[in-house]
Amino acid sequence: MSGRPARLALVDAEAPPERLAAFRVVIGAFVVAYLLIRLPVFAQLAHRTDGFDGVGVFIATDRPLPAAAIQMLLAIAVGAGCAFIAGWRFRLSGPLFAAAVLGLASYRSSWGQLLHFENLMVLYLLIVGVAPSADAWSLDARRRASNEVPSPDRPPTSYGWPLRLACLALVLTYAIAGIAKLRYGGLEWMVGDTLRNHIAYSAVRLDVLGADPAPLARLAVDHAWVLPPMAVGSVLVELAAPVALLGGLYRSAWVAAAWLMHASILATMLVGFPAPLFLVAFAPLFELEHVPARVTSGARHQM
Amino acid sequence: MSRRIRIAITIAVALLLVAPVLVDQDGFPLSTYPMYARTRGDVVGFVTAYGVDASGQRHELSLATIGDSDDPLIVAGELRAAISAGRADRRCAEIARRAAATAGLHSVEVVTERYAVVDRVASSAAPVERTVHASCSAEQA
Repeated sequence: MSGRPARLALVDAEAPPERLAAFRVVIGAFVVAYLLIRLPVFAQLAHRTDGFDGVGVFIATDRPLPAAAIQMLLAIAVGAGCAFIAGWRFRLSGPLFAAAVLGLASYRSSWGQLLHFENLMVLYLLIVGVAPSADAWSLDARRRASNEVPSPDRPPTSYGWPLRLACLALVLTYAIAGIAKLRYGGLEWMVGDTLRNHIAYSAVRLDVLGADPAPLARLAVDHAWVLPPMAVGSVLVELAAPVALLGGLYRSAWVAAAWLMHASILATMLVGFPAPLFLVAFAPLFELEHVPARVTSGARHQM
Repeated sequence: MSRRIRIAITIAVALLLVAPVLVDQDGFPLSTYPMYARTRGDVVGFVTAYGVDASGQRHELSLATIGDSDDPLIVAGELRAAISAGRADRRCAEIARRAAATAGLHSVEVVTERYAVVDRVASSAAPVERTVHASCSAEQA
């Protein structure tokens, strides 16, 4: 009998440094773009004084931060985010960006409304930010090469394992969302009028707040017979998330199903989950390092 | 990093992620993901705010005027939190300050309106009930 331990897919996964680096670039660029687009929302938090109820890293306090602290946190997040994408001084910029976004998102959620789609991107940053994610495709790697300093000699698990941790966060997030529907809504959530009422609720919420409803809300409410099968489908997609860890066709089929679910939610409820809709949430499941070569080769074929 | 440490961290991360489910406590960034998970009846209360002109006619206000944000989840969530915490008057004054530029508004009302939501979507039905939590002058604000 061999003394070699059994291989565990989650902890013994191997990957080249370029795969983790590609994920660093994708998640970093996505979060920096998100911060810049939402800059007015984050910036106006600096002037609020009323209604603070701390969550996340602010759970222990009920007092808002001074305006200057919020502005500084925003500046640090955007600056560290750019360094994170470029892989510049990553031992500092990686954890700093993750911590700054965790702080900002916690602070924004501390005014009465949790936005659950921010959870996964913060978890990804926390994993990538402390992993050796800038050993390739980075200014740090370029600087080492130009100074003729050898690249860090790490085993392939150093790059594969953080990606599998991100995959674990992804599939558990979806599975927990599915469990929540069974736990809080029960079978009624799937076979009753719940989904129709949620769609109508979202449309009326937008209506009374002076905004336009989702494009397919009226159609869905008028043809409510289609909704129970969609409700069953969405719970199955969420609960089945762990099959994505098997890779290959299982992974691709699950990603397609999950993306369709989010597209349907956007079309009927105008509730957008940006990370899955832009496929960033699913990025750690794929061999991202091949994407630039495929894009380049595809472009060459078209010329 | 040794294999043992990787195994320990993997188990710890998995436990952290499922911990909110075990204690049934939503939070950030670890969550039970309860959004839209509960069953919902077809008559529901909505918080919002209206501008009111001198003749008593109600006028819709924009998301930015009501909640200083373009995100309806944030605007509704924060307004609901303000009403629950007994701060409707203060929130009304804030909205009135933002609405002051709108010509012809006499006052602002922070309300909860209950709608039969399916009827509202299908045929623009009126609210079945309206509760005014706060009313404040748009001119004096």
